[in-house]
Amino acid sequence: MTDIVMSPPVRRAGWIPGIATVAAVALYGWAILSAEEDWQVLGLLALAVIATVIGMVSGFGRSVQASWAAHESKLNGAALIGIVAVIAALSTQHFPLLMLSTMLLYFTASLGMNIQFGYTGMVNFAGAAFFGAGAYTAAVMGNVAWFPPLLTLVLGGVVSMALSLVLVFPIVRTTGHYAAVVTIAFGVLFKTFLEVNEILGGPQGLMVSSMRLLGWDFMDSPQIGGMKLSFYVNYALLCTALAALVFIAVRRLERSWLGLHMDAVRLDETAAACFGISVKKTKILAFLSGNMILGIAGALYGMMISFIAPSSFTFSDSLLMVSMVLLGGMGSPWGGALAAAIVILLPEKLQFLQEYRFLLFSVLVILVLLFRPDGLLPRQIRNYFPGARSRQ
Amino acid sequence: MTTSPLLEFTDLTKRFGGVTALDAFSMHLDRGEILGLIGPNGSGKTTSFNLLTGIYPATAGTIRFDGQEITNASPRQVYEAGIVRTFQRSRLCLELSIYDNIMIGDTSRLSQGLWANLVKRNSFRAEFDASFQKARDLVATFSGHLADRMFEPVGTLPMIERRRIEICRALVSAPRLLLLDEPSAGMTHDETDQLMRDILDVRARGNGLSIIIVEHEMGVIERITDRCVVLSYGRKIADGTYAEVASDAEVQNAYLGVD
Amino acid sequence: MDLGLIAQFLANGIVLGTMYALVAVGFTLFFGVLDVIKFSHGDVLMLGTFAGFTVWLGLEAVGIINPWLQLVVVLIASMVVTAAVGAAIAKWLVLPLKKAPPLNTLLVTLMLGTAIREAVRLFYPDGSNPKAFPALLPDASIDLGGFALRADSVILVVAGLLLIAGLNMMLNRTRLGLAIRAVAQDEETAQIMGINYMLVVLATFAIGSGVAAFAGVMNGLYYNEINFGMGLLLGLIGFSAAIVGGLGNLYGAILGGFLFAGLQVVGSALLPFASAYKDVFAFAVVIAIMAWKPTGLIPERASERV
Repeated sequence: MTDIVMSPPVRRAGWIPGIATVAAVALYGWAILSAEEDWQVLGLLALAVIATVIGMVSGFGRSVQASWAAHESKLNGAALIGIVAVIAALSTQHFPLLMLSTMLLYFTASLGMNIQFGYTGMVNFAGAAFFGAGAYTAAVMGNVAWFPPLLTLVLGGVVSMALSLVLVFPIVRTTGHYAAVVTIAFGVLFKTFLEVNEILGGPQGLMVSSMRLLGWDFMDSPQIGGMKLSFYVNYALLCTALAALVFIAVRRLERSWLGLHMDAVRLDETAAACFGISVKKTKILAFLSGNMILGIAGALYGMMISFIAPSSFTFSDSLLMVSMVLLGGMGSPWGGALAAAIVILLPEKLQFLQEYRFLLFSVLVILVLLFRPDGLLPRQIRNYFPGARSRQ
Repeated sequence: MTTSPLLEFTDLTKRFGGVTALDAFSMHLDRGEILGLIGPNGSGKTTSFNLLTGIYPATAGTIRFDGQEITNASPRQVYEAGIVRTFQRSRLCLELSIYDNIMIGDTSRLSQGLWANLVKRNSFRAEFDASFQKARDLVATFSGHLADRMFEPVGTLPMIERRRIEICRALVSAPRLLLLDEPSAGMTHDETDQLMRDILDVRARGNGLSIIIVEHEMGVIERITDRCVVLSYGRKIADGTYAEVASDAEVQNAYLGVD
Repeated sequence: MDLGLIAQFLANGIVLGTMYALVAVGFTLFFGVLDVIKFSHGDVLMLGTFAGFTVWLGLEAVGIINPWLQLVVVLIASMVVTAAVGAAIAKWLVLPLKKAPPLNTLLVTLMLGTAIREAVRLFYPDGSNPKAFPALLPDASIDLGGFALRADSVILVVAGLLLIAGLNMMLNRTRLGLAIRAVAQDEETAQIMGINYMLVVLATFAIGSGVAAFAGVMNGLYYNEINFGMGLLLGLIGFSAAIVGGLGNLYGAILGGFLFAGLQVVGSALLPFASAYKDVFAFAVVIAIMAWKPTGLIPERASERV
């Protein structure tokens, strides 16, 4: 035996598998968003399943993972370009763009919920209520002509955060099931309140004014080279920007000491406290920041669909948001993206599923919890910086 | 007054309902001392750790650390005063990497602000680099082969390695007092010996770390402690060197149940 | 406000409180033996009520029209179905997740509740519309000076309270009750002492669910209507009641149930602008109580070993 241990040559994974995946997903996204017949959609779904199985069996999935870990920033940039490319390819079609935008907003919402469920282990069964708080803020502020709509997005987040402040005291004091009751009660309370409050439109809901940015109304269709694009291009691009921004922020949060403290609080509150981590502060940060993200996403959602009612923000909708986090994988941002795509796209694309969507997703989540509790795209070990993990 | 004790319990008492887990327990720990806290099961050893680290409030009595009263301080204040502990049953975060687990122990020196963590990523990176080196050196001391596996989840490691990581987590903040709660549980004789040697190594390098160790393995107590305190049914029944307490009639009764 | 109206509110509150307490004791029992929340409880009781309703349709079809006989058969049918479903969920969904984080059990049963609710809505004939539940109890009422005391309310409340009292007696006086309490106290020791753990757990889930089925039928008889969503609200209220009262003891659940009913009644009586705000008021108070007493009004014993 020799004392010198030869470390195996570290071969840094290449970027090609990563780029190839981004390109394939973008192409696939374009295909499924523009598919119109049921058989096309079903065929594409089958293709996805086959590709996943082949990827897992052949080990390509592993090299994609390695590639992503080594070249993360570049590949995230590539993913952004991929989304913009899909928007460009679909630029004249209303419906696919609306779906893509909705997906992006739900993805953004899942990032917020992930801070709570995934990192800190806090339950929030009032996700739809905080999302709705943002949307209602947008509806009310739409009547204030001088107020810049971009600030309305921020205000949506602030209002949602202010509502969370009311709950912070009970939330921080309670744990587990007791905390679950607090959020469930709030969710039911919020929806009932909207229904009976005449100022906020009652059960009929409210109109929401559209987004306006630098004098540009998002209801106007952009013209490029004599071609008239769908006005949803405006929203799709803004939703992309919002999702990207929140993605970066949440990623940085996870890969910081604050994110580490959130994990510590989730996994063992007592031990965390014994090492000087403020359990209260960590929980407050997670609850408020997560709900702020939900509120911002909700405000933009309201502007985009231009009409909101209490029936869009029920307990079932909150559960759908929780399903997204669980399906994708607790604490896994890209998992949230995949789950948002499934949750939004499947019922819209396969109209015969529309009626069955709550049933379908609840069964899907039960199966995931029983057989794949880490979700479809499980969270990876924390990588503080791109490539940090492979450096030893 | 450098001769004042580092830690002092005065009539420390804890009752759970009708059960008195700790009964007017008084003792002191000198600076740099290694103290063995021994006694049969249920004699109040872990309870005194829990009172000291602020997990339970004390029913009566006081705790002073370095001249400051810290009775009923929060776990966080106790940590900030420089007291860290390990747990009887390993309490690592199994899903997290070795590095993450150790960094949980270094809260007091890492930036806590949102701005520093999210926006100033360059200075965050510098902090990361420095702390990584520190954690890696510590791991290298205790378990050389793990130093190149800092980003593996702790859950995949065997129990012995987990114990070592737990001690690295406790030592990374360069504490003044280390509380070890049955470090030998689940380890062989040789492994325990090795672990104790490593802890003493780290201690020799640093600034006179004091240690209180709760242990059933009397060989360990005999070899490393300067002094022993013996508890029985929540009361102190002996205080002295290992040789002294081992020959004490009351201690022998407590352990063997001879009357 | 006149006395008759107050009496009316009071009677209403007592009926609701009994109903909620019947649901809440289930949550408490499940939590007692397995330390889990089975959130599908409300939807399981809805399923049982629909089963009872279906049996009633069958009885009508074959010409058995004696209301008392119908009532007994409907009650037995819904309690048996609910108990069986409750035990099945325990065996195939709750027990397999015993080692997983408690949150997962809460989530899996939440999702199961949604699945049951949606399945009834989609697959029961005309399931998305409310069904007229038959009035099987005598519709007589006694006039007590401006206030009509309905005979059916009295029968329901008395029967419900007897059921809870019976449950309490079963827990404290029978061998099964002793076994349940032993498992709740310390599962491992109970097993060593020769208690059939699986049997006790399944029995507990069956009993807890069966009791809730009574609340479901009661709900149908009282409002003369059932719908696929009734379990969600009843489950939510039962869960809140069990939590507010304090998990893990029967009295907490009863206290919580009557408290919640009281809040609703007070809410609709005292909020002059709209009784529609009664649920907002009740849930707001629930949140406030959680802030004040984070482990319920009658706290469970905390026993974390460090």
